Order: sequence, then C-alpha cells, then structure tokens
Amino acid sequence: MLGFVFLAFVAFVALLGLKRPFLWVMLYIYIDIIAPQRIAWGLIQNISISFLAFLAAFGGYLILDRKEYIKFSWRQALLALLLIYCFWTTGNAEFAAEAQTKWEWVWKALFFAIFLPFTLTSRARLEAMALTMVLCVGMIVIATGMKVVLGGGGYGQLNFFVDDNSGIYESSTLATVAIALTPLIWWFTRFGTVFKPHWTVTAFAIALIFACLLIPIGTEARTGLLCIAALAVLMLRYTKRRVMFVAGAAVLGLTALPFLPQSYYDRMATIAQPSGDESASTRVAVWKWTLDYVSARPFGGGFDSYRGNSFTYEMPITEVEGNTTSVEYKKVTDEARAFHSSFFEVLGEQGWPGLAIWLALHALGVWQMERIGMRWRAREKAGHIEEDEAWIAPMATALQLASLIYLVGATFQGIAYQPVMLMIIGLQIGLNTYCQKIESALAKEARDTRLSGKAARKGGRRGASEQPPQSGDTVTA
Amino acid sequence: MLDTYAHMIDYLALSIGHGLLAVAFLRLALRDGLDIDPLLGGFKRRNAERRKVRRAKRAPKGRR
Repeated sequence: MLGFVFLAFVAFVALLGLKRPFLWVMLYIYIDIIAPQRIAWGLIQNISISFLAFLAAFGGYLILDRKEYIKFSWRQALLALLLIYCFWTTGNAEFAAEAQTKWEWVWKALFFAIFLPFTLTSRARLEAMALTMVLCVGMIVIATGMKVVLGGGGYGQLNFFVDDNSGIYESSTLATVAIALTPLIWWFTRFGTVFKPHWTVTAFAIALIFACLLIPIGTEARTGLLCIAALAVLMLRYTKRRVMFVAGAAVLGLTALPFLPQSYYDRMATIAQPSGDESASTRVAVWKWTLDYVSARPFGGGFDSYRGNSFTYEMPITEVEGNTTSVEYKKVTDEARAFHSSFFEVLGEQGWPGLAIWLALHALGVWQMERIGMRWRAREKAGHIEEDEAWIAPMATALQLASLIYLVGATFQGIAYQPVMLMIIGLQIGLNTYCQKIESALAKEARDTRLSGKAARKGGRRGASEQPPQSGDTVTA
Repeated sequence: MLDTYAHMIDYLALSIGHGLLAVAFLRLALRDGLDIDPLLGGFKRRNAERRKVRRAKRAPKGRR
C-alpha cells in the first residue's frame, strides 16, 4: 500500500514536470533524500526510480528548460576537479572492490552538485530547492522527534523509516543535517513565497526546529550536541539581544536536563573522557594512523583506504558489583576502523591534493555567503534594496551557518560526500550566481545612466559653445 | 508504548511531508516566476528598452 502511495506521489510530480521540467530536479532530490524505494515494499523496489528521476531531471534541463542565465562558477570547477581526482584515485585504490562501491554513489552526488546550480536561475527555484530539502529532511525529523517525545531513544535504538544506518538515516549524520538546516527553516517564516509568512508557517517551523533539536537527544549522537553548541555560538553574531539569548538558552538547557535519560549523560560524558568509549578512543588513533598513511602515500589510497588500519590500545572497562566499582584495563585490537572525521576521510582517501580541493570548496562557500550577506545588508541599510531582494542576505546567512555547522559535525564523522550537504553547496553556488547576475545588471544600469548623463552634459556644453548642426537635420535638409 | 505507535508516527510524518510537498510543487507549477525571475527579467527588459532608446537617438531623424 505504502509503495503505491509513493508511486502515486512520484507520478504526480512527474506529471507536473511536463509543465515545469524544473520539478523533475526536485523529484530527484526527494528520492535521493527520502529513498522511498528503501522504505516501501513491492513494485517501487523493482523500478529504478532514482535513475529515472535523474534522467528526467538532467534530460528535462537539457531539452526543455531555458538556459538563459547559466554560468560555470569556480566552485563548480572545484567539484569537477574533485570528481576527476576521485575517479583517478578509485582506479589506483588500495581496496579496489570497496572503492568501486563507494565511487558508485559518490560520483552521482558530486555530479548532481555540479549540475544543480545550472537549474537554480530564479528566486522561486532557489526557494523551491531549499523547501524540498527542508520538507524531505523534515519528514524524518518529525517522525524521530515524535518518537523521542513518546519515550523512545538511545544510541542506535531509534528506528527511522529505513533501518540500515546509512546515508542520512545514520543517526549522527541526521543530527548534523537537522541542526544545519534549522536557520534555513526559520528563513521560511519571514521570506517564504510558496508558503507565505503566516502564524501557521511560524508554528510549523518552531515545531520542526524543536524536533531538529531533539534528534541529538533521541539518537544520543555526541556530534549532534556539538552542532547545537556551534549553532548557539554562531547565532550570537546575528542576535540583537545577546544577553537575553544566552539567558534563554541556559534556561532552556537547564529545564531540559531533568528529562534526559541517564544513558544520555553517560554517552555525553565520553566527549570529555574519550578513553571510556571505544568509538571515541579509537578516533585519535585512526587520525594518527591517517597522517602516517599519507606521509607514505601523499596522493591517498582511494575510497575506503581505512580498511588497511590496525592498532592495539588499552581501554578501561568499568564493572560495578554491589558497592564496589572496579576498573580493568583490557587490550583491544581494532582493524579497519573508519576515519570518524571527514577531514581525515578525504585526507586518507584522496591525499593532500584531495583535501586541498575539499577545503577550498567549503572555505570558498563560507566566504561567498559572508560576502553576499555583508553586501546586501549594506545595501539594505543604505535603502537601496526593494522587497524582492530583502530575502538574499538572510538566505546567505542561513546557508553559511549550515556550512559551518556541517563542518563542526564533519570533524567527528566521515560525511565528506554526504549528498544533502553537496546539495547545500549546489544551493550556495546557485545563490551566488544569482547575486552576481543582479550585481552585474545593477552595474550595467549604473554605467548606462552615467553614460547617458555624460552624453547629455556633453550635448548641453556643445549646444552652448559650438552649436553644431544635428545629424538628423543634415539628412533631412 | 512506542513500538505500538511507531508505524502510526511514521505514516503521520510521511503524510505531513508528502502533503506539504504536493501543495508546494503544485503552487510552483502554477507560478509565473519559476522559470523567468521577475527581478532579473525586469533588468533585462529595462536594458532592452534603454538599448532601443539609444539606437533611436543614434539613428538619423529621416530614418526614424
């Protein structure tokens, strides 16, 4: 039954796409994030809807869509360079079969991120893209938030729509993405045009943000807690009443404390004492191993190169018997331990050149969004912008915050090629290109006004001193 | 209790999300500014008008 509902929805959007081919791009985003073919059973699993949606999105753009404002940006060039470089390292990978498996989804995500900005040529399209992402992630977040409120939760305990702990359905990844999207959710309460600002939109946004904040609590993902802290610190920059904000956050945090389960405190305690937890204590060891690895292979070992690592360390095992607590140190040997950090993931897999490209891609994004925010805020202060441009600076800020929160989360988990974050990069590129077009058009208008002013002045001076015959007069005479 | 309601919660969240997406896509499909941005379109229109005026000014009066 659920499979038929999904198919009906896909068919509905596919039909709308006949009128507006851009909606096929949104359909692909929906399928890529939600993965309905993995949620439901039956017919939907036998049809390759993801591939069909990709063909429709790409083919629809090539054949039917307007290509008036396309521009190939520097960040798209960096994405293309990363794609080519990953292709090369996959061919020379240390673990060829495993590298090939990862390459099969990474190239699609990178290719789509390069393609996406070409389609984002209007405000409505930029908003549509952001709204689709928010609502798709929102579905998972709403379900998870409600389960947490009803008493579910625990690390690896919460069931999402898909029970395979991969992609966005991995708890730490979901926590990072959910927190990263919160500023964008709030943006819709002020500047949305598909769902215009209204108390119902605000109420939904508040509930969704609350659910987003519940994800790190329900999943007990430590990274999520760090992302919330990062969000709070970053928000201080944009808050007018900072003291009120800090006091409110403290009150909210303290109010929530009694409702948190003991398991949550135990898990969060390992942030400060990583030796007490296998996942946390091996992290530093893997990072050291990666640095040694790239000193021998500076161009990286290809996807999944972590499979070659192995290290033995001592881990404290605490046992409680009645009133006695004993700590025993056991030797633990870990093999093929994942990178647990996107920075080290890219370094180990793509070497120093790959890391340089990846860092440049994100740094450039943060800088571009900062620049857009500053310019449009300055224009707003000077009274130079109309209502139809007021949304630009807040969207740039929301996307910059999304990037920064992602980078905080990515420090502790291997999500360097996470499709949702690559989509956010695509959205940032789209916004930057859109703003460049406005600036270029404004500069052209200013130049034309200047030129016509000069010409008028010149004409005026000539008229006073020389009084030359007008060209039209000579012809008609 | 959660196990009993887990599927109901999933269906509810999927319904809300799909319902809102369906409305959003329908509104976008019926909207004028989706393919041609009104702001950029305005710049383009004004630019074309200015070009037309300039051309008319440059052209000899007899040819107007």
